[in-house]
Amino acid sequence: MNTPTPPPVIELTNVTKRYKDTKAVDGVTLRIDGGKIYGLLGRNGAGKTTLMSILTAQDPETSGDVRVFGQHPYENDAVLSRMCFIRESQKYPEDFTPAQAFKAAALFFRNWDQDFADRLAEEFTLPLKRRIKKLSRGQLSAVGVIIGLAARAELTFFDEPYLGLDAVARQIFYDRLVEDYSRHPRTIVLSSHLIDEVANLLEHVLLIDHGRIILDDDAENIRGSAATVTGEESKVAEFTAGRKVLHQDRLGSLASVTLEARLGAADRAKAADLGLELSPVSLQQLVVRKTMTAPAGSAGVEAPAATDPSELEVAP
Amino acid sequence: MNRAVSVARMQLINKWTFLGIPALIIAASFALTYAIWLIVPNNVETRYSGASQAVVWYFLALGIQSLTYTFPFSQAMSVSRRTFYIGTTGLFAVVALAVSLLYFVLGRIEVATNGWGLNGQLYFLGWAADSPAAVQIMFNFLVMLALYMTGFWFATVYKRWRATGMLVVWILIAVVLVGLMALAGWQGWWPQVGAWFADQTPLSVSGWTALFCAVLGVGSYLTLRRATP
Repeated sequence: MNTPTPPPVIELTNVTKRYKDTKAVDGVTLRIDGGKIYGLLGRNGAGKTTLMSILTAQDPETSGDVRVFGQHPYENDAVLSRMCFIRESQKYPEDFTPAQAFKAAALFFRNWDQDFADRLAEEFTLPLKRRIKKLSRGQLSAVGVIIGLAARAELTFFDEPYLGLDAVARQIFYDRLVEDYSRHPRTIVLSSHLIDEVANLLEHVLLIDHGRIILDDDAENIRGSAATVTGEESKVAEFTAGRKVLHQDRLGSLASVTLEARLGAADRAKAADLGLELSPVSLQQLVVRKTMTAPAGSAGVEAPAATDPSELEVAP
Repeated sequence: MNRAVSVARMQLINKWTFLGIPALIIAASFALTYAIWLIVPNNVETRYSGASQAVVWYFLALGIQSLTYTFPFSQAMSVSRRTFYIGTTGLFAVVALAVSLLYFVLGRIEVATNGWGLNGQLYFLGWAADSPAAVQIMFNFLVMLALYMTGFWFATVYKRWRATGMLVVWILIAVVLVGLMALAGWQGWWPQVGAWFADQTPLSVSGWTALFCAVLGVGSYLTLRRATP
């Protein structure tokens, strides 16, 4: 080892993936140092799966520079063998049983923990000897979740892993994920729609929209980065003047405005004077508000570092 | 290299599809042929059977299945396309070689037992009898490998370009074949073509088949390199 610090787990520079006339990933520049649970959030078709496919070399990028563990992952077994990415619609060999799929995973993932896989299968009540093509949607998701967890890859991606899983099974997944992660620290990227459910797991949030990263911050920072102000309309207007507004609702003379702002003690005192109520904004609310304001172009969104004229045409 | 061996082991996790079925085909084709020879007695002249070809053709299916069933899964197992290709085609080359050796041994037994006691010819390659044993084994091996690679390459083309790819490939093949035939007819080359075919020896046929395998092998690899699961 010549370098004292290892390269970041993921480093993307201006990465684009083009399918005919749409850009699934559009000039993404991103650096992930690793060792955390990252949430990759965004709407359907925002580019989450494409981004993960590029990182795991399942789908090559059209342009830009992709580095995983400091190297380009495409056709690179040294890098690939340190990652695990089970797709939402993962295909398994015809006639394989879950037990056989786990046997295959044991061949390829050097940290594979068979006992852990067996325990998880029991908790998910997964029939190990039934053909995978005969499993229900939830059981199929469980196979992917178990491989992703028991592989203990240094960089693990979960792509909407809960499809068809009931609330209990999802809770088991979240619990085991956090438990195992604390015992075997690694980098986990979890893409999800159910933001409220995963909000507490996430240490860092990446929000992708129309193929671009529009939010990249620590979950802790994000929690304090917005607030909702509720009260009489004119007072609310006085308070919010000159601030970034993410969303507003009106009901009669009452207004409720979501601000993207870090409120300090002075702000809180002022709000109290005006008789306004301040409430925190959940991660899900913030994601929804940010995503809805994003395509409009200005409000609350920082322009990406590398801008090019073609970005105006990405709206579907 | 270790991971290529792991790919081969992954292909064999479900032994039925890739080993059980070929073994069953070999056993059934022999049993059925033997039964027919028993039912229709005739000890005067040698009775030929093409039943031993059954498993050879199955290599076409093996080529298609080994790509279609396991390539998307191998991607989830974080295996590069190159490693998947080496492990998979390497495994089936070994299987083809094993079947060729088995057929060679069965052919010797056939000769020694006067055609299984029934004057039959199922495994012995009469037309290649004068060639060295290695050429006889090589011929069967290369034919199986060529069929395997054909199936593998077609499955890869389908994986990468779907129905459009299939359509384009078949049209291209048809255009090339028709073009060659038109050229031969127009230039009056048919007698030479016929003579060329008549001149082929077991060794030269093996050589051409090997060349065909190499072209398919390179084509498959280049097609697979940019395929997505």
